[in-house]
Amino acid sequence: MLHSSNLLAPLLPHNNKRNNSSSSSTMNSGKRATVDLTSEADDSVKRHRSHLPATVDLSVSGEKEHEYEEEQLGSAIIEQEDSTGLRLLGLLLQCAECVAMDNLDDAGQLLPEIAELSSPFGSSAQRVGAYFADALSSRIISSYLANQAIQQALDGVDHVHVIDLDIMQGLQWPGLFHILASRSRKIKSIRITGLGQSMDLLNSTGQRLAEFASALNIPFQFQPLEGKIGNVKDLNQLGIKLGETVVVHWMHHCLYDITGSDVVTLRLLSLLRPKLITIVEQDLSHGGSFLGRFVEALHYYSALFDALGDGLAADSVERHTVEQQLFGYEIRNIVAVGGPKRTGEVKVERWGDELTRVGFRPVSLAGNPAAQASLLLGMFPWQGYTLVEESGWLKLGWKDLSLLTASAWQFSD
Amino acid sequence: MDRTNSISSKEAAFLHVTNPQNNGIHLEMQGTNCRQPQESNITGLRSPDSGENSDGKWASRLLIECATAMSEKDSTKIHHLLWMLNELASPYGDCDQKLAFYFLQSLFCKATDSGQRCYKTLISVAEKSHSFDSVRKLILKFQEVSPWTTFGHVASNGAMLEALEGENKLHIIDISNTLCTQWPTLLEALATRNDETPHLKLTVVVTTSIVESVMKEITPRMEKFARLMGVPFEFRVMNGLNFLGELTKDSLGVQDDEAIAVNCIGALKRVDVEERRAFIQMIQSLRPKVVTVVEEEADFSSSRNDFVKCFEECLRFYTIYFDMLEESFAPTSNERLMLERECSRSIVSVLACDDEVDHGGDSERRERGSQWSVKLREAFVPVRYSDDVVDDVNALLRRYRTGWSLVLPAGADDVGLYLTWKEEPVVWASVWKP
Repeated sequence: MLHSSNLLAPLLPHNNKRNNSSSSSTMNSGKRATVDLTSEADDSVKRHRSHLPATVDLSVSGEKEHEYEEEQLGSAIIEQEDSTGLRLLGLLLQCAECVAMDNLDDAGQLLPEIAELSSPFGSSAQRVGAYFADALSSRIISSYLANQAIQQALDGVDHVHVIDLDIMQGLQWPGLFHILASRSRKIKSIRITGLGQSMDLLNSTGQRLAEFASALNIPFQFQPLEGKIGNVKDLNQLGIKLGETVVVHWMHHCLYDITGSDVVTLRLLSLLRPKLITIVEQDLSHGGSFLGRFVEALHYYSALFDALGDGLAADSVERHTVEQQLFGYEIRNIVAVGGPKRTGEVKVERWGDELTRVGFRPVSLAGNPAAQASLLLGMFPWQGYTLVEESGWLKLGWKDLSLLTASAWQFSD
Repeated sequence: MDRTNSISSKEAAFLHVTNPQNNGIHLEMQGTNCRQPQESNITGLRSPDSGENSDGKWASRLLIECATAMSEKDSTKIHHLLWMLNELASPYGDCDQKLAFYFLQSLFCKATDSGQRCYKTLISVAEKSHSFDSVRKLILKFQEVSPWTTFGHVASNGAMLEALEGENKLHIIDISNTLCTQWPTLLEALATRNDETPHLKLTVVVTTSIVESVMKEITPRMEKFARLMGVPFEFRVMNGLNFLGELTKDSLGVQDDEAIAVNCIGALKRVDVEERRAFIQMIQSLRPKVVTVVEEEADFSSSRNDFVKCFEECLRFYTIYFDMLEESFAPTSNERLMLERECSRSIVSVLACDDEVDHGGDSERRERGSQWSVKLREAFVPVRYSDDVVDDVNALLRRYRTGWSLVLPAGADDVGLYLTWKEEPVVWASVWKP
C-alpha cells in the first residue's frame, strides 16, 4: 500500500454542520410517529378499502422515543461520516494505484464500493469521491481501449521494434509486454531501442525490462542509444531489421528538449515509416506521474469542494451544476489524460503543420472514414453537437467543449 | 521503483500511420476544456435537423449502434463507439448521460468478458452498504414520490381482501422484496372489517441476503403493529433459500384449514427462466384461494439469445424508468441516485452475464403481462378486478404528480391492470384463482 496515509489527513471533511444536513434531511422523511389513516373515500359505509396511503412507516412508537433516536443517530452520523470519508479516500488511492500500474481488472473491482460510499449530493468528501470515481471509471475504460488500439495496430505482427525517444525508466513497456504476451498469437520478439542522456540509466533500464520480458517468456533485446534522436545521423544506428514492425514512442516534455531537433526527427520518422507513433504530452506542473497528479488533484478539489460546501446548502442545485459540469470535467481531464491546462488543440495544430512540412499529407476524411463519422454524426441532434472539419480533421464537439479530434496522415510519395 | 516517469503509452495520443493504400481514422484523445477553434477555413457540418434527430436522444442511438457492432464483432467500430460513450457518459448528468453510463458499463463488461465478476461485486457491495435504515428510507421515499410499487400493493390488497372475505384463518405467502410495506394497510383493513377480525399468518419468502438482514428488524415491528391493530398475527420469515426455484410446499408449512393467498411482487422474474412453469405449478400445489401477481412490463426473456434485440428492449425500459425517476425526485436526491445504481445490477445481469453460469443471484429476465398470462393460465384462471379495486387504484394515482394512469387491457383475452407512465405501460398487476 502507499505511504500515502499521511496524505489523507488534510483530506478529511471538517465537521461542518451543513455536511450533515443531507443525511438528517433523509432522516426526517422517515420520521412518522403515527400511521396515517386518512381516507379519500367519502363513503359512509364502514367497509374499508385498501387504497389507504401506502407510505406507512412501521415506527409506531411515540414522539419522544424518536427524538432520542435521532439525537443518537445524529452523533453517530458525524462519526460515521469521518470514517466513511477516510475509507473512501483510501479506496480512491488504492484504485488510482491500480490504474497507475495498468492493473485495470483490480481497479474496476474497487469502483462499485467507491461509488456506494460517494455521492454528488453528500458531504464534501462524498462529492469529491463521486467525481473522482467517475473519472477513474472513465480512465479504466479508455486505458482498455488504448490497449486494444495497440493490439490492433500490432495484430498479426511477429516482431516488434519499439524506438523510445526518451526512455528513462521505461515503465510504460511492461504493460505492452503483458498485452503482447497474452495474445493468442504470441509475439515472437520484442526489441526496444531506448534513447536517453545517461548510459548508466539506459543500461539499468534495459536490465529491468529484460527481467520483465523473461518473466513473460518473450524473446527480448535492448539497444541503448545515448544522445538525442535529432542528432542521429544515420538511420542504421537505430538498427532496424527487415520484417520488424516499428513503433515510435515520443514523449513531449514542456521543460526540456527531447529530440534536439523536431524537424530532423520528423524527417527521420518519414524515412522510418513506423507502423505506429505514440505521442505523449506530459504536463510537469502536475507532478509527472499519474499517481502524483491524482493525489495532488484530490487535495486541490477537496479544498475546493469544502469551500463550496461552506457557502451553499447541501441540496443546492446550483452547486451541483457547477461541480458536475465544470469540476467533474476538469477532474476527468486530470485523471484521464493530462491536466486541465492541456491545450491539445494548439498542439494538434502545431503538429499538423510540422507533419505537413516534412512530407506527411493529411488525408481528407472523405470516403469510408467520413462516412463512418457522418454515420455517427447523424445520430446527434442538432442542438449541442457539432462536427467541424478543419484542415482535413474532423472535430467532434459538444456544446462548447471539444471532445475528439480525428485526423489521418499518410506519407506522400 | 521510481514512478516519476510512469506515463504509459495509454496516456498517449495515437497517430496511426497507415500505408498509402488505405486511410485509417486516428483518434487523438483530448481534454474537454479546450477553447473553440477559430472559425476561418472551416466547413462546419451540423447534424441534420431532421425530426428523428432533434429529440435529444443521442445516448440510445450510440448505445444501439455499439450493441450492433458488438454482435457483428466489428472491433474497430466497437472501440470507436465505446470511446465516444465513455467521453459523454456520466452517472450524475442528465438522463442521456446516465443511460450512457449504465449501459456503457454492461457493454464494457461484455467486451471484457467480466460481466459475472462485475455482477458479484455489485451484489456484495450492495450487501455491505445497505442497512435497515437506508433501505427503509429508500423504499418509503420512492413510495412517497411515485406509485411504481404502491400500485401493485393497492391492487393486490384489494383483490386479496375480496377473495378472502368470510375466511377466519388466513395465510398469506408473500414472495417479494417489498420489506412488508404492503401489509400495514391490509392489516388495518382486516382490523376494521365489520365481522370478526380473522387470524392472519404471514410468511415472507426472501432470497437475497440484503433483504434477509433487513427482515430481522422488520419482524418485531410487524408484530407490534399487528398487536396495535388488534389482529391475531403470526409472522414468519423464510430465508436460507438460494433460489426461489428451491421453494417447496413442505417448507412453507401450509395447513389444510387455512385460506391461502400467494402474493408475488416481482417474484416470477426472479425465477430462472427454465424453472418458471414448475414454480407456478408449485404455487398451484399450495391450493391457494387467490394468487396476486405484479411484474414490471418488459421482455428481457424471449430475446435472450438475440443480443441486440434484448439490448434494445432493456434500453427502452430503463429509459422510461430513468425518466420517471428524474421527474419524480428532486434534482439532488440521494434516493434517486441509489435507485439508479440498483439498475446497474439488473442491466449487467441481463446483458453481460451468461444465464448458464450461475452468478449467485436471482434472474432479472422480466416478461410482459401477456407472456406471464400464458404460463399462469396453465394452472389458474384469471380474475377481473372489481370496480371498487379499480376505484381504489385510481384514487391512489391521483395523489401523485401527473403522468401516471391506469389502463385496463384491451383484448378479451388480456388480463390484469397496467400502470402507465406517459402512456407507456410499466407495471402489470393481475389476480388468479384455481
